[in-house]
Amino acid sequence: MMRALKKSINHIVLMGYLLIILFPFLFVVFSSFKLNNSEIALSPFGLPEHFVWDNYVTAWVNAKINVYFLNSLYIAVLSSCITILIGAMMSFAVTRMRFGKISLLLFQLILLGMLIPNTSLMLPIYLLMQKMNVLNTHLALIIPYVANAIPFTVIIMAQFMKAIPSEIEEAAVVDGLSVGGIFAKMVLPLTIPAIVTVFIVNFLGNWNEFLLSNYFISNDELRTLPTGMVQFRDAYQSNYAQMSAGIVYSVVPVMVIYAVLQKKIIEGVTAGSVKG
Amino acid sequence: MNKAMRNPYIYALFVIPALVLFVLFFIYPLINAVYYSLTNWNGVSDHLKFWGFKNYTKALTDDTFWNAVKNNGYFILFSCFIQVPIIVICSLMIANVKRFKSLYKTAVFMPTVMSTAVIGILWGFIYNYDVGLFNKILGFFGVEAVDWLGDPKFAMLSILITNGWQWTGFYIIMVLAAILSIPKDLDEAAEIDGATGYQRAMKITMPLIMPVVSVVIMLSIAGAMKAADIIIVMTKGGPAGSTDVMATYMIKYAITNFKYGYGNAISVIIFVFTMILTVLYQVLIARRSERIEY
Repeated sequence: MMRALKKSINHIVLMGYLLIILFPFLFVVFSSFKLNNSEIALSPFGLPEHFVWDNYVTAWVNAKINVYFLNSLYIAVLSSCITILIGAMMSFAVTRMRFGKISLLLFQLILLGMLIPNTSLMLPIYLLMQKMNVLNTHLALIIPYVANAIPFTVIIMAQFMKAIPSEIEEAAVVDGLSVGGIFAKMVLPLTIPAIVTVFIVNFLGNWNEFLLSNYFISNDELRTLPTGMVQFRDAYQSNYAQMSAGIVYSVVPVMVIYAVLQKKIIEGVTAGSVKG
Repeated sequence: MNKAMRNPYIYALFVIPALVLFVLFFIYPLINAVYYSLTNWNGVSDHLKFWGFKNYTKALTDDTFWNAVKNNGYFILFSCFIQVPIIVICSLMIANVKRFKSLYKTAVFMPTVMSTAVIGILWGFIYNYDVGLFNKILGFFGVEAVDWLGDPKFAMLSILITNGWQWTGFYIIMVLAAILSIPKDLDEAAEIDGATGYQRAMKITMPLIMPVVSVVIMLSIAGAMKAADIIIVMTKGGPAGSTDVMATYMIKYAITNFKYGYGNAISVIIFVFTMILTVLYQVLIARRSERIEY
């Protein structure tokens, strides 16, 4: 008896933790199908009496989820791709080309970037965007997103590229490839595992980013999902059923991506933080 | 060997895009922040006057600023004394179970991939006075309802719980990876010698994962100093500034009150405080728990 209890105590505690993680989601999903606030208030834990799909329809229209969703998607994907291209070029030059001393210096400089907290540099970056005349356009997000991810991207990719044996380039030179050819045809394909990791981390970071998006964009049509959702909440604060439907819309895509790619995502996100 | 790989023009071509962005978004803003922190500039007009460290003395003698610093401190204390024990215990447990291991890993990590803004909205709903989950649970036990985010006594705690809910799983996965990388034979040898599960955890696993726990604490400190979005989404620093942290205080002054110079002084202070904490932690604590070879 004691042994059985001892064995299951881990499971009991962990199931408790799981419940704490999952219960808020269940609460929101149940609430999203309820008729109105009073039904939520009367039976907060229970299933809805009738499944009310109306909340989903009205939330989709009122919250402009489709607009925010597409904005977020294209900004996050585009920024991540540009970062990877620029970061890969720099990593390649620093690790594979023969400029030892300058490369070391440049790499150290980029490392320094991991120490600089970017939230506290928001004000100068705001001014910079103002000077570039891009405030309140998507460029005001894309350019900082690309730049902010560079240190992490270069560190991870440089580490990976360093490990590629130099015979590869010798062989490539014999075959008559140029530097650009070596980069695009030989080194990049070999770096794909690192590219995937970096893409996931950068994509999630951009997809979830709130501060810049909140202060650099004021046009409603241009908002990304996080700021759009906050806007939606502030506008329909008293209709919790509809708000819950909005939350479900914004959570489900991430959950689906996470379910499919979870191993790679966990690996990437934790690698990013430790090495940074 | 290869001439092409020594071509300085191509080298420049490959390096310059990243370098330009880096300088524009890291080095220049840092210099810019330090420069304007010494002025009275409001961010818009042509009027600009140098007045030395006046912004700094003003911030360091402002009680509301110290209140914000205190809230950053709560973030750090909460993660060190509440989250870290939970992290260590849960990761030890997950490492020890055989069934459902991957289910636990997946579920525990999930909040990490969600946006802080959405989590803030979701938890705002849970904390809601009339229909929220927490007050319903309290009501079930006959306890009077609490205005979680509206009462200065509870607002900060509510935010800390939400923040902990979002990030604990992320650190659990980090510590778990460290535990799973410890060679099995160490544990088995101790078991043969008659050590109990508890003894093995305390004497073998714990010392070996100290370096990772140290990283967790460092990351928590860095995260605590940067915290802003969760507060803006959940309380906007209110009620009555009771949940303001340094970053939200900075934003308030610089953007809402047109005190660009003052705001930049705050960002420099955040930067300096973070550096001091990091160095102190490294010197005082991290060094003592040196890496153990096995």
